[in-house]
Amino acid sequence: MLSNILSDLSLYRRLIGMQLRTQAQYKFNLLIDVGTYLFVTTMEFFGVLFYFGSFKSILGWTIGEVALLTATASFGFGLAEMIGAGIDSFDVTIRRGEFDRLLLRPVSAFIQVIGSDFRLRRLGRLTQGCIAFAIGFVLLPGFHWTPAKLLILLLGIASAAAIFVSILLMSATLCFWTVETTELFNSLTYGGREMMSYPLTIYHQLLQRFFLFVVPLAFGAYIPVCYLLDRPLPFDMPAVVAFASPLVALAFTLVAGAVWRFGVYHYQGTGS
Amino acid sequence: MLRFYIEVARTAFRRQLIYRWANLAGLITNAFWGAIISYLIIALYHARPVAAGYSVQDTLRYTWLAQAMIMIVLTFGWYDLMLTIRSGEVISDLSKPCDFYWYWFSREFGRDLYYLLFRGLPTYVSGMLLFSAGIPGRLDVWLLYAVSFLLGAMLGIAYRFLYNVIAFWVVEARAVGGMAGAIALFFSGGYLAVVFFPPWLRAIADWLPFNGLLNVPAEIFLGKLSGGDLWLNLARQLVWLIVLTLVARLVAAAATRRVVVQGG
Amino acid sequence: MTTMIEAEGLSKTFRVARRRPGLIGSLRSVFDPEVRVVPAVQDLSLNVGRGEMIGLVGPNGAGKSTTIKMLTGILVPSGGTMRVAGLNPVQQRRELASRIGVVFGQRSQLWWDLPLIDSLRLLRHLYRVPEARHSANLANLRALLELDEFMDTPVRQLSLGQRMRGDLAAALLHDPELLYLDEPTIGLDVVAKARVREFLLAINAERNVTVLLTTHDMDDVETLCPRMLIIDHGRKLYDGTVTAIRERFGGERMLIAILDPAEFAALARDGNGLPILGDLPAGVTIASADNPKIALSFRRDAIPAHELVAWLGARYRLRDVTFHEPEIEDVIRRIYEEGLLLAEAYV
Repeated sequence: MLSNILSDLSLYRRLIGMQLRTQAQYKFNLLIDVGTYLFVTTMEFFGVLFYFGSFKSILGWTIGEVALLTATASFGFGLAEMIGAGIDSFDVTIRRGEFDRLLLRPVSAFIQVIGSDFRLRRLGRLTQGCIAFAIGFVLLPGFHWTPAKLLILLLGIASAAAIFVSILLMSATLCFWTVETTELFNSLTYGGREMMSYPLTIYHQLLQRFFLFVVPLAFGAYIPVCYLLDRPLPFDMPAVVAFASPLVALAFTLVAGAVWRFGVYHYQGTGS
Repeated sequence: MLRFYIEVARTAFRRQLIYRWANLAGLITNAFWGAIISYLIIALYHARPVAAGYSVQDTLRYTWLAQAMIMIVLTFGWYDLMLTIRSGEVISDLSKPCDFYWYWFSREFGRDLYYLLFRGLPTYVSGMLLFSAGIPGRLDVWLLYAVSFLLGAMLGIAYRFLYNVIAFWVVEARAVGGMAGAIALFFSGGYLAVVFFPPWLRAIADWLPFNGLLNVPAEIFLGKLSGGDLWLNLARQLVWLIVLTLVARLVAAAATRRVVVQGG
Repeated sequence: MTTMIEAEGLSKTFRVARRRPGLIGSLRSVFDPEVRVVPAVQDLSLNVGRGEMIGLVGPNGAGKSTTIKMLTGILVPSGGTMRVAGLNPVQQRRELASRIGVVFGQRSQLWWDLPLIDSLRLLRHLYRVPEARHSANLANLRALLELDEFMDTPVRQLSLGQRMRGDLAAALLHDPELLYLDEPTIGLDVVAKARVREFLLAINAERNVTVLLTTHDMDDVETLCPRMLIIDHGRKLYDGTVTAIRERFGGERMLIAILDPAEFAALARDGNGLPILGDLPAGVTIASADNPKIALSFRRDAIPAHELVAWLGARYRLRDVTFHEPEIEDVIRRIYEEGLLLAEAYV
């Protein structure tokens, strides 16, 4: 079992390496793409910051704190966009009838799907995340690091990436049934991500519970940042819950994996 | 000739009718975005009831109006013309005995009508249902809004024509188009209401063409513009419309010449 | 193990929902779907020994692809049992995948933007082939398929023939015991087709690779496959040799006789300009004549070939005699159109 995972990872590394080499051929285009994406995401970010010219805070969150939140969300989900690119374009794979070929290989179809693309241009969003982090820390002179906080932040980002990739996977699994609704689920997926750039508390109670206990995106950004800023967690959860992010992410990933396997099973039963 | 352009517009309208699912998906996206920003705005206004002269009701309306109008006036991410240039189809378009700019204008006008009915209206109505956005009561506001909206829509057509037609000369046209769309979206009030811009930026934004795409009609809708201010803004819209249209036509003529001389 | 494929009573039924037009229609389809039952494959049994080369022939929609998908484990059968290379294709799909190779005529498994050599190298990892074996195979296949000239060219720039050779190499790098080919010669020119066929014969001879080949090209079948399967409407109609089928359903044969030129010129002509040969036996007609050649078309069941030759030789000085067999395409077409075997299949 372990050796299977290791060989799958090594295969993934190779597939990605090949993707990167192909994309690196077009260095100029890549630079422009990254630049454009950075530009657009930065504009969005400043859009939010400008509100603070007229309003002091968002439900008590100051500009620096919001910047931190946005940065964490951008980083985690930006990573997921880079890694999950192959999953995102799964509808194209299905439409072209190329999934059969993946099943004809003696390796996991999932690894082949996730290894089929890697969007370097999403580095633009990660760069914006870095800028947001920088701005955030500048605007929070009172902030000081502890080892626990650093750990929580890193775990949070990793969890965010895992959760978002899982969402992409479940959304892609729908393609086994129909490709018509792809756009719809895309907008829901990316909408959810967008919501995580703002404090969870601005949303309706139901939505808060949804993003904590159903699709736990909040564990990727909001919860870790609350811990970093010594803020209370929603619904009076103890601060230590912040350490549970990876566990939550893992559980969610397992669910997504099961959904995916079910999708493949269905595909084999009904053909394309 | 006018008959021809009307027919072009009608065809474009009809062609959009097929994309029902895509439209529904887009509509839900618009409504979703509107909702997210609405929550943000409500949270912001907890701190104070009025900011920069806008009440929470004003800002909510602005937000939903932006979501409703965005597909009509901007349609960033619109690359139809660029694609015909890339594929070479544009050459046959340019050889047609009609004006290149008015041809595309009619097409986009037809599409805009579709988006008005099937995207704009439903989006704003959802805003009314979900967040009680509300509508102005006075007829004169509606009339002025309609005029300004029309000017903005036509301005939008000229703008996207321009950032597409540069594909004749620029290889990286798509990237430029992406940035052009993002800048326009920002300065028109698509990300946040122009009234919240820092004063120095606001001063610049007031004189940019993008202001007329969304912000001016929106402010009229909110009843924030009256008297001298109102006519000034409408005049600026009109002037930019004329300027951009003239530039677009000049560029179209240059493109036609280039194609005729160089054969694409 | 001498049996490569053992399939018994395989069947696959698809449930196809009818799509209703319009937005309301789509919503209705979710809650109240109208389902049609489509039997794609019915009661198909098959036994293929190691090292055999078999052609799978049938009209479009006959169930050939569905059968192959089931045998490779991609599709779960609705009924029947099968074992391929001793494995259960559905349950042991990945294990089976390392023992088979598949080539699709119309879809390549090579990476579009990469040079051919990169694709072939990458496949080593996808199939977990040890380095030494992979290198040896690669060298061998490079030579056999003459890949060196375009090894470094990106796949998207290759001609169809070159790409097919690349795909063949890709399918064989991991030493599969069984090779499935789906329309491998489609779209290729005559020379390229010949090369592909030579190659397949070579690997079958050298490595004893079992080959199952789907095709519409009868030359493929005649050149490569001693054994042919005809599938129509999901059923196996025929499983035997090409010659046997031609003999059974061949219908007409052609006898080409070279007569003495002087004698030929002396023959009387009819209204069409064809020479008149008096007392032609029943079932024999003159197809064409071009001094000194005359072509006679005759039905197998009307008169045996040697009798016709004897009849001709008795009356005319024959310089040479040859026979032309009917095109197998025509034979197959007749079988489809007239349902010649379908009646038997239900017996």
